[in-house]
Amino acid sequence: MSDALTIQVYEVVGSVLCVASDDGQKVHDRIAAALREGRNVVVSFRNVNGLTSAFLNAAIGQLYDSFSEGEIRAKVRVEDMEQDDLVLLKRVVETAKAYFKDPERFSDAAREVLGDDDA
Amino acid sequence: MAVKLALQQIRHCRAGFAELVDLAAQAERCFLEQIEIDMAGASWFDADMCAAFGALLYRFGHNLNTVRLLNIPNLVEQILSKNAFLSSYGRKPIPDTWGTTIPYQRFETKDERYFASYIERELVQRPEIPAMSPRLLKKFRESIFEIFSNAVIHSETELGIFSCGQFYPKKNLLVFSVADLGIGIPGNVKKKIGSQLLPERAIACAVDGRFTTKSGPIPGGLGLKLLSDFIRLNKGAFVIVSDKGYWELRRGQTLTDKFRNAFPGTVVTIEINTADTHSYALRSEISPSEVF
Repeated sequence: MSDALTIQVYEVVGSVLCVASDDGQKVHDRIAAALREGRNVVVSFRNVNGLTSAFLNAAIGQLYDSFSEGEIRAKVRVEDMEQDDLVLLKRVVETAKAYFKDPERFSDAAREVLGDDDA
Repeated sequence: MAVKLALQQIRHCRAGFAELVDLAAQAERCFLEQIEIDMAGASWFDADMCAAFGALLYRFGHNLNTVRLLNIPNLVEQILSKNAFLSSYGRKPIPDTWGTTIPYQRFETKDERYFASYIERELVQRPEIPAMSPRLLKKFRESIFEIFSNAVIHSETELGIFSCGQFYPKKNLLVFSVADLGIGIPGNVKKKIGSQLLPERAIACAVDGRFTTKSGPIPGGLGLKLLSDFIRLNKGAFVIVSDKGYWELRRGQTLTDKFRNAFPGTVVTIEINTADTHSYALRSEISPSEVF
């Protein structure tokens, strides 16, 4: 990824704590803009000290709405993440893939698990 | 003439929440009233329950009622003054000598960064807070952010988000609670799948992780699942009250119940076992190249 655009999450958010969905949206918009220009993207989490699934859903998970799994895998790379943050990101990515493959799946899952109660 | 209500002991358990939802029901129709809450019977009040209690009182005030808290037992008055809860009701705050409180505070939904600073200031950077392993502290902090984000994203509250915490040194317990005055989990689930579920089952559904009430381009559905996974490992507790539903995960066991009356929003409380020495070691290393 020698021609890659590097996005410093800390710089975009302006904080070590990346917890807000709105902040994730800002990161997403930069990644998406670069991908639309055909660029590779490196997303660096250097100096980030706290993440939530809400932030990562907005920043990364949302990419699967506009770009294919193959495209994301080929063009996006993350750097400087601790192992447990990578685990969280992996879960966010898996959830996003499932969500965009079939958004109704989640409703079906609810019905399957619980049935309707007609409370 | 004033509407007179009474409050008994409030502990962070099903009975404590039942007491609060009954209080909410009694004041539900009050408008432009003087509401007097006699707290003589509240001989104990778990400070973290101020999040839920504060949310209810704020709602009473929003309906243009004047709230007065009367006959507060001395011990309870001290606790609720230390965490600044009673500052909203005319009492002076008193110093928290032992540093066991995480102050009561109300936030707007746009205050996520402000909330994060509050957690850093009141929890992470305070020497009085028990020495948890760095990884446990990180997990705890992230769990709190997940709860707050969950309220921001799902509650549709227009009246804010209320939070409060308390450290119980003898029990090695750190409790943190977040309450909102939004649509509630059962209401959210109904909006999403169009069916009415029993409220306690709607909560179970939200925690399940295979379901999200989110729609649109940003996926969701993970926050509460992550929390329950963490709490199971930590052997702590995780309690959700929403509408008439009660859902509890404690020492690995779940308990659900239904209240007679509804909480007008959602309360999420986590109880962290601070003596936890679990390493939270990862089962396998993930390479950044395997994430996508």
